[in-house]
Amino acid sequence: MNSKYVVRVIKYAILQLVVAIFIILWLTPLYAMLVGGFKSNMEAASAPILLLPKQFSTEAYYFDWFGFGTLIGLEFPMIRQLLITIPVALASVVFGSMGAYFFYIQMERRPWVSNIGFSIISLATFLPAQTLTVPLIALTSSIGIYQTYWGLAFAYFIFYLPTSALLMSIFLPVVPNYLIESARLDGARDWSIFWHVIFPLVLPGFLSTLIFVFLMVWQDFFTPLIIATKPSLYMLPVAARQYVGGYAILYNRSFAAGVITSLVPLIIFAFLGRYFIRGLAALGGGAKGI
Amino acid sequence: MAIPTLFFGGIIVFLLAWNFVVSLENWSLFNPVPKFVGLASYFYLFTQNYFYTSISHTILFTVGLVAVGNILGLLLAALLYFLPNNTQRAVYLSIFIYPMAIPPTATALVWLWLYNPQIGIDWLLLKLHLPSIPWFATPLNTQLALVLVEVWEYTGLAVLFYLASFLSVDRSIIEAARLDGASSINLLFRVLLPNSMNGFIITTALLFLFSFRIFDIPFIMSGSATSPTLMTLVTYIYYLFAYSEYFSVAAALATLVAVIAAIVIIPYALLGLKKWVFRR
Repeated sequence: MNSKYVVRVIKYAILQLVVAIFIILWLTPLYAMLVGGFKSNMEAASAPILLLPKQFSTEAYYFDWFGFGTLIGLEFPMIRQLLITIPVALASVVFGSMGAYFFYIQMERRPWVSNIGFSIISLATFLPAQTLTVPLIALTSSIGIYQTYWGLAFAYFIFYLPTSALLMSIFLPVVPNYLIESARLDGARDWSIFWHVIFPLVLPGFLSTLIFVFLMVWQDFFTPLIIATKPSLYMLPVAARQYVGGYAILYNRSFAAGVITSLVPLIIFAFLGRYFIRGLAALGGGAKGI
Repeated sequence: MAIPTLFFGGIIVFLLAWNFVVSLENWSLFNPVPKFVGLASYFYLFTQNYFYTSISHTILFTVGLVAVGNILGLLLAALLYFLPNNTQRAVYLSIFIYPMAIPPTATALVWLWLYNPQIGIDWLLLKLHLPSIPWFATPLNTQLALVLVEVWEYTGLAVLFYLASFLSVDRSIIEAARLDGASSINLLFRVLLPNSMNGFIITTALLFLFSFRIFDIPFIMSGSATSPTLMTLVTYIYYLFAYSEYFSVAAALATLVAVIAAIVIIPYALLGLKKWVFRR
């Protein structure tokens, strides 16, 4: 009896230990990034990156934020990123959920409409964005929005509005069908059914989609790389790329650039992480049970 | 009310069609007035060495991530499943997933430092009297190092979906197996795994798609799209567009890549996603 208990304790300890090792491995890059940004430049270049800084220094953040010489500071890219990402994510999710509702109600009326719509929004979600390089630039330049904020927002909408529609079509079926039916019997139009019946019920799904799309737009590197190539239009991921270092003067400063780029996503993930995870789970059909 | 979605979804289809049209022309920087030349761009593409290198790299990265991600994800999901504490499990799951929330620029730059031969991971290995790993010594090493970054970034996805399918197995089946004296290993392989077919399909499809489209991390780690070591099919599209400036050839490659992606995406969406979500 007693030995059985000991065996169970040992098994439990081994389980915890193995999981802890993997957790530490997963956290190492984040730790290295946070620690590296607070080192002095010489120390970051020569001391092992996994050691704590001997002398605490915030010089790297000052350097990255205001820029130096030809390196563009991250201050304006950060402001730009916030000013563009928030409205783009919000509008994508609002319009996307309306589209999702349309495909949802078409399922019984005209299944083929819903199938084609579903295929297109999944294609838009998972298609490698690079495949659209040539026509996207040709299209934005022919309507005169290449190298502008509007062009950038337009390109984001092309990729992320269908993504929102896809995620929302995964979250919508939580609304029981009889609610829609009874609202319709009471004479409500689709528009008011959506806003007064559906929307309050799928609010958690809406929030998950919003957080997911926000983080995806934030970390999108390719779209600003091809659409906003002028330094005065640099978005945060593209601007931070200047600081990818290991040479010249960029040692602690490259870590600090990483921290500045991932600051907002990390804060959001820390507080609203479960919404992001639910959004991610929706890519696989909801993954019931989380 | 579906107009915005249909509009932007329609633009995607329109751009793909435009891509195909451009790929049949001979548009390049030196030839600004394109003419219809049929499949010439495709034939040109098939004569390029970079085309075949980038295919082999894409295959290596994709197969590497799908294989390692599935196995490691399964293992980690099983470990998390057997943790008795729900809060601990949720926190650990978030830690496996957080790399996906971090911008790839940050990921690439921090991993470049971790692979530094003097002060990176190798320093720690040396301290522990383990053999140090020459991360960037040969092209193959560099490519495997990239697979490792991908595994760090995307395994959380596999953990999420395997854990979700494990947790959706009926508690009564688990308890019955426990009463019959099944060990944890037996439980995993005899009860949980056979009930995780959906988890396997989702994980494989998503890991394939995420790895197939990976652009930013190889692009930033190798400095630009010109380095052949980490060139994938999608970075090659950008290379053809931005450096060779053979727009039609870039469009031809883009068309091929889009077709491969669509072959996976559309069945996954209609036969997988739609069926699981809307079964009632």
